[in-house]
Amino acid sequence: MECLIGIKGKDFVIVASDTISARSIVSMKQDHDKMFKLSDKIVMACSGESGDTVQFAEYISKNIQLYKMRNGYELSPRAAANFTRRNLAEYLRSRTPYQVNMLIGGYDETDGPSLFYMDYLAALIEAPFAAHGYGSFFVLSLLDRYYRDDVTQEGAIKLLHQCIDEVQKRFIVNLPTFKVRCINKDGITDLPDLRAGKQ
Amino acid sequence: MKTLGHMINSRFGSHLFDLLSSCRKNFHILSKQPKISVNIGQMDTVEEYQHGGPKQAYFNPYAFNGGTVLAVAGEDFSVVASDTRLSEGFSIFTRDNPKTYNLTSNTVLGCTGFHGDALTLTKVLEARLKMYEHEHHKPMSTKAIAAMLSTILYYKRFFPYYVNNILGGLDEEGKGCVYSFDPVGSYERESFRAGGTASSMLQPLLDNQIGFKNQIGVDQTPLTKEKAIFLVKDVFTSAAERDIYTGDQLIINVITKDGTRTEYFPLRRD
Amino acid sequence: MALADACNFSQSFSNFAAIPTALGPQDGLSDFQNALQSSENFTIPQNYDPVRDMKTLVDGDKDVKIEFDHGTTTLAFKFKHGVIVAVDSRATAGPYIASQTVKKVIEINPYLLGTMAGGAADCSYWERVLAKQCRIHELRNKERISVAAASKLLANIVYNYKGMGLSMGTMICGWDKRGPGLYYVDSDGTRLTNDMFSVGSGSTYAYGVLDSGYNYDMSVEDAYQLGERAIYHATHRDAYSGGTVNMYHMKETGWIKVSANNVLDLHYKYAEEKKQ
Repeated sequence: MECLIGIKGKDFVIVASDTISARSIVSMKQDHDKMFKLSDKIVMACSGESGDTVQFAEYISKNIQLYKMRNGYELSPRAAANFTRRNLAEYLRSRTPYQVNMLIGGYDETDGPSLFYMDYLAALIEAPFAAHGYGSFFVLSLLDRYYRDDVTQEGAIKLLHQCIDEVQKRFIVNLPTFKVRCINKDGITDLPDLRAGKQ
Repeated sequence: MKTLGHMINSRFGSHLFDLLSSCRKNFHILSKQPKISVNIGQMDTVEEYQHGGPKQAYFNPYAFNGGTVLAVAGEDFSVVASDTRLSEGFSIFTRDNPKTYNLTSNTVLGCTGFHGDALTLTKVLEARLKMYEHEHHKPMSTKAIAAMLSTILYYKRFFPYYVNNILGGLDEEGKGCVYSFDPVGSYERESFRAGGTASSMLQPLLDNQIGFKNQIGVDQTPLTKEKAIFLVKDVFTSAAERDIYTGDQLIINVITKDGTRTEYFPLRRD
Repeated sequence: MALADACNFSQSFSNFAAIPTALGPQDGLSDFQNALQSSENFTIPQNYDPVRDMKTLVDGDKDVKIEFDHGTTTLAFKFKHGVIVAVDSRATAGPYIASQTVKKVIEINPYLLGTMAGGAADCSYWERVLAKQCRIHELRNKERISVAAASKLLANIVYNYKGMGLSMGTMICGWDKRGPGLYYVDSDGTRLTNDMFSVGSGSTYAYGVLDSGYNYDMSVEDAYQLGERAIYHATHRDAYSGGTVNMYHMKETGWIKVSANNVLDLHYKYAEEKKQ
């Protein structure tokens, strides 16, 4: 029932996630932040099996921070995504696989912005835009139709808003707010929460 | 020094524990061997010869042997009683198997469910009580036994003892106390409790006669020892009338500061 | 650390990381210091999958059937004057009411309370382990453990047993340097913080009453009324909840027990109030 959306532009990536934490039919928390900071310019949004998401994301983020301490420089978004994928893949064949889907958005000085989509089977794809969960069935066609690779940050947020409006109009589950973060050459910035209708 | 003492003893304890439980482990491993044919002599259908995918024989290491236990606590005494019938399905194995176990001079355990587990569990308890007595030069208090029993049960959380335990005794102040347990060690102190097959018949009657539950204007006289024994006999006689797993004989342990006295009382034997 | 060393605690600390060996072969040489926290003390046969192999015992319709105590309504909410914790007291085994007098609030220490929903034994055992770890934290660091840390400790412990069939939904409530604290921890490994939680089969009913009457700035008396009423209404609609309403208030000076009222008495009290 969770929904993650990511959109990449020329010099930025935005990642959005819903903020509901649900157990069976009950929504237990309405302001749950599903994004984890992997480094100064990498964000990972996670959905999936409760418990696994936080454990896996914290494990990855702490190891990436450890890498920076040991080597004096950070992993690039591509390296971080592949490190995450490798770990997930190894655990997939263990007795305790992590059932976690994620979007990794990051900015690299040389490669520019990048967005990675990864599911719990450790399939990693780099994409200009991506979405996870039931929301993706509503959103991907919209993104296919309106996405342009020269989209500006304002344009991307407008597009994201269109996506969220569609989710709220057609999807039966109530996802009233989305948390949005933008990653560019200056690092990670929190953007105002997106709600239905209000632009 | 004390810490060290604990360590050595507990090491021993877990050894013992493994020994005692190894029996059932082996059974389980056996069950995973190539099919120990379950359907011997039933090859009348042709399909039996056709390959129907891999089959796994499943061995269930539990049985249910019935029986009822009951414990009641009073001001300065407690009563732990059980019937003595041991059965499985429609067969009665014996008419003389009490389900109460005298653990110390002022603690009695009532234990129903799977008789095999009841035996194992009481053996483990006996060993642990003996170890405690050697180390501390005094018998374990009822409260401490209850706490220990809880952890012993929980250590088999993933392969439980299939038993219902009710512990009766005297607390540190000499007051009667009853502790009831679920199969994995959740426990609670109460003043009366029935367990086992007829528990759902006994408990409501006790709620009415001892707990005076949901009654207005009732004279809440404190329970005397005589009345408690009288009640125990009555409720078991009634249970034996309606429960096929309860009957034959009633064993009543009355615990006071002077020790444990045992009484017998006949029940229906059919 | 001197005291810890003298008591040999350093050893137990290093062993703490060894929990995930849950299903490994049992060598039977387990260490006493692991007794409360290590799975090495849990007797499990080889090739044994607790979820698969206990299924026939728990779900089966055969004679041999283990019914653990289940069913609950518990709630806790933060407000201006602390945290209110209210719970019912019923335990059920299938349709049978196993007990009407269960203590579902576990007093971990004077500044921490835990609630009990799901498996009664799972909750009381692991919160006892938590109580031990919190005490060790106090001895090592000369200060009380934060609610955030305590709840994370519990979440990490039960996460190591994920998929093995533990059933636990608990709220860890306390007061630390950051003020009142409230965390939800369950046997999936979830750990959340919020102003209000309700857990158990009657939680939806409790949420209904709670959400409509909740205000962060409410008075202490109003908060007591709200907590008690929410549980009462849950026990009224949820057959798995009932008995007495036990209520606690977590203050800056530690917790106090507010009340333990029988649902029967509350029912007639509220009926009387409605008439006026």
